Parts: sequence; structure tokens; C-alpha cells
Amino acid sequence: MEQVAPSPSPIQAKRRRFSMYQRDSMLGYFLVAPVVICLSILVIYPFFFAIWISFTDRMIGQGGNFIGLGNYRYLFNWIDFQATVRNTIVLVVSLQSMKLVLGLSIAMLLNQEIRGRQLWRSLILIPWAMPAFVAFITWKLLFYPQGGAFNFILLQTGLAETHVGFLSSKALAMPSVITASFWRGFPFWVISFLAALQNVPQELYEASAIDGAGPWQRFRHVTVPSIRHVVLVVVLLSTIWTTNSFEAVWLMTQGGPSNATMTFPVLAYFGLQNLRIAEAASVSVSMLPIFGFLAFIVAKLLQED
Amino acid sequence: MLGRLTARQKVVYYLLLILLAIFILFPVYYMLIVSLKLPKDIYRSPSLLPINATLQNYVVLFTKQNFLQNIRNSLVVSISATLISVFISCLAAYSLVRLRYRYRDWIGRLILFTYLTPGALLFIPLAVIIARLQLGNKLEGLIFVYLTFSAPLSTWLMMGYFRSIPADLEEQAMVDGSTRLGALFRIVLPLATPGLIAVSVFTFTGAWNELLYALIFITSPSKQTVPVAVSYLITGDVFRWGLIMAGSVSAALPVMVLYYLGQRFVVQGLATGAVKG
Repeated sequence: MEQVAPSPSPIQAKRRRFSMYQRDSMLGYFLVAPVVICLSILVIYPFFFAIWISFTDRMIGQGGNFIGLGNYRYLFNWIDFQATVRNTIVLVVSLQSMKLVLGLSIAMLLNQEIRGRQLWRSLILIPWAMPAFVAFITWKLLFYPQGGAFNFILLQTGLAETHVGFLSSKALAMPSVITASFWRGFPFWVISFLAALQNVPQELYEASAIDGAGPWQRFRHVTVPSIRHVVLVVVLLSTIWTTNSFEAVWLMTQGGPSNATMTFPVLAYFGLQNLRIAEAASVSVSMLPIFGFLAFIVAKLLQED
Repeated sequence: MLGRLTARQKVVYYLLLILLAIFILFPVYYMLIVSLKLPKDIYRSPSLLPINATLQNYVVLFTKQNFLQNIRNSLVVSISATLISVFISCLAAYSLVRLRYRYRDWIGRLILFTYLTPGALLFIPLAVIIARLQLGNKLEGLIFVYLTFSAPLSTWLMMGYFRSIPADLEEQAMVDGSTRLGALFRIVLPLATPGLIAVSVFTFTGAWNELLYALIFITSPSKQTVPVAVSYLITGDVFRWGLIMAGSVSAALPVMVLYYLGQRFVVQGLATGAVKG
């Protein structure tokens, strides 16, 4: 007797139309869709929309006309914008070098055989755990002439004879903003560096010690190569964040006195407040080449491992 | 790093650590003591000590200001943003790590770029888009907008966690008759609990602390979140520092407690996700 192969039931036929691979890929699209849709509306579309707005003369409440590079021509002759570019370079270069040198030193200090290491590490996290807006409002108070701690200390000890305008003098406003930003920003660097330092194989140090390497040589030839990757990622990520940080300047100086601390996000925010969104968009978009370059490198580094 | 420290090194190291501790703690200390002082003590008899300490500022803040409403708004926004973001990010991260399909790598790259795209670039077009969607001055609008930073970060971090979980476990469950989604919820997510905690803490604190979008999208005082309410206290003519610091302490306390409770997971998350991929 010959066995007759049963003809596939309609349901099985339907199931067979999609292979395992196809079913996986459909489920894959389905699961990733919510995030992709949200980010398309909230990030990708706005990203290109910002570039488009910056080439128009749009105001809030009215559609604009395409005016080509008009806004950018205006920007480059605008005193506020020139100050913004200068300030951003000063802010980023000095703040990042401070965080790099001191952050690495503190991380190496905390990596020593010290008592209560865990406690010190928790301590380091405090400025980072504190909301940025709280940190900068508190630093504004510390710098403030009346009721501020620094002026009180300076006057009491006789180091200053009158109130020092930390945030109101053109010379001191930027250093003050940098100090406060350092306080809030350095823990991220220390914690990241510390994690990297702990991953450096101990044998490497022992081997180099046997080879007669001194502390500097050990740092130069063992520590630096081992943590280079993490350091690079931290520097780049933090540079993107620092360039775009709004709270520090907005809460402490609002860009003043006379543009001494004006930065891109604050200038753009003022543009939005004045309803001149095309101008504001061109302020943000003008830093896009640098941002794109940094983001490209970070993305490459992050995807490497 | 190598061997024991000499006595001299020890002295230097501990001195440096004490300086560091003062640098970190002094602003926190000053914030606390000013929050306990009345204006006359702050201005007329300034001091670094908590003289005439009183809870008056907190009483004013919670009874005469809208602060309870602000806290409620912040809680609604932060909790909703966290739940939505963590949920959709888990699905997306699982899909990107475990399932194979065309453009998968492109979508992963796209999410990384959206994570790196600064809010300072997005707030202007978003102001137009949110108005067009009729979401201006609504907490729902704010929750939606907070996905700009929380969804990419959460997805990116969860991808790291899912990668560290061996695929055999779910495959075993699927052989035993579980569906893929069943395996995700019953096997993978429980194993990724540390990741879920880290991602929730990051998202909640990110939303709780956010100032720029809240400043732009919320116009009526009854809908202001805590950061906006506190930042408006410093834009008046007279700075009521005692009240401002009471607001700051109240705003900082919940998230700092949360951070320290989840510290282990947060630091781990930072090390595995944001920095090392």
C-alpha cells in the first residue's frame, strides 16, 4: 500500500509562505518601528527642517521665503555671533583641558591603594548626580556679591576690599562659568577614566617595572595606550555636550555681561524668544559641520567595540 | 598602582583627597545652609554657618508657591517618559541585537546619531512641529519631546545589555515552544534587570532635570515643571536666595537619592553602554 502524502492544509501553506528568516525580519521591523517612527518625527525630520528654516526668512506664526545664504551672511557680520564663536572656543578648550588633566589625575589618585576607596568614589558622583540646573543656580549664589560665599570669604580674610563681580565683570564671567561647569562635569570623566584604568592588566605594570621603567615611563607606555580609546570617546562626547549646554550660561549670566559668555544655544534661544526662528536656526546650524565631524568620529569609535 | 605607598606619598594623597572633598562638598553645604536662612540673616549677617536655622523657606515654598503642583507635573512627565521610553527601547534594542533583517545596521547607526544630535539644534524646529501637532503647553507634548534624548540612549544602552546575554537561553525556550516575544519578556528582560534599572534611572533623571524644552514648550504656570519653576525664581528683581535654595534642595533630593540607590547599576551602565558600547 502506498502512502499518500497528505496535501498541506491551507493553514500550513500559509505558514510556509514565510520562512523562519522572513518571520524574524518582519518581527524585527515591527519591534524597531516605534523608536524609528518617534525619532523620525522628533530628531531626523527636525534636523533637516532646521537646515531648511535657516535658508528662509521665516518668523514664528508666518511661513517664510527662501533667501539662500542671507541669514549666514548676516551672522558672520553680527557682533553677537562673533563673540559666540570666540567664547565657545575659549570655553571648550579650557574646560576640556582642565577636565582631561585633572580628571585623569583624580582617577589615578582614586586608583591607588587608599582607604575607603568606595566612599571616595561615591563622593565623586555627587556633582554629577545633582541636576544641572540646581548645580548652576547654586554656583550663581556662591559667586553672588550679596549673600555669596566667595565674596564673604574674600572680604573676611581681607583678600579683597570690595565685592568682586565674578559674574558681572567681563574679565571674570567666563572663568566663573568654566569653574562651575568643571564642578558639574568632571565626575563623568573621572568615573569613565577609573573604569578604564581598572581594566589595564596589572601584569603590564609588573613587566615594565621589571624592565626598569620609572613611574613616568609606565604612565607613558602602559597607562596611556591602554586607556586611549576611552579617553578619546569621553573627550569627544563631552565636547559635543559642552558646546550645546544651555543651563550653565543661561542660569548664571544669560550670556552677559555684554556677550562675554554668550554661547550658541543661548543666542539661538534669544532668537526664538524674539520670534526670529530663521536667524536662530542658522545660529544652531552653523555649528553643524563641527558637530557632524565629532559625531562621525564618536560613532565610529563606539561601534568599533 | 604598584606595591605599597610610602608614608610621604600617603600624606600627599590624603591631603589632595581632602581638598577634593572640600571642592565637591562646599557648594552642597552652602546650598543647604542658605535654604535654612531668612533674608535678613543671608544679607545682614552673612556667615558660613547655619545660624538661626529655620524651615520657613520650605514652608513658604510648599504652601504659598505652586511648588506641589510643579512636583506633580514633573512626576507625571518623568514617569511617563520613562515608562514609554524604556518599553519601546527594549523592543527596538532586542530587534537590533537578535533579529536579522535588511537595513538593520543602518537603523542602529541612525539611533546612535540621534543620540549624538544636540538638543540645542533641535529645539527651534521642534517649537514649530509641536505647535503644529497642537501639543504646545501640554505635558503630553513634553513627554513626547523627551523621547528625543531618552529613546536613543535607552536603546543604545539596552543593546549593550542584550548582547551580554547568551542567545542559547532564548533559543532553548523557543525550542520548548515559547514564542520570540514570550522569550523576550520571560527570559531576556529578567536577566537584563540591571540594565533596565540603569536605563530607567538615566531617563527619569534626564526628564526630571530637563530645563530647555520645558522652558520653551510650557507657557502656563500651572503646567510648569520643577526646573522651570525654580529657574523663574532667579529671574525676578530681588533674589530670594533662601527660597531659591529650598527649591533647589527639594528638586535635587529625589534624583540624588535615586542615583545613589541605583549607583551600582548606573556606573556599570555608564561603563558598558555610553563609553564602551
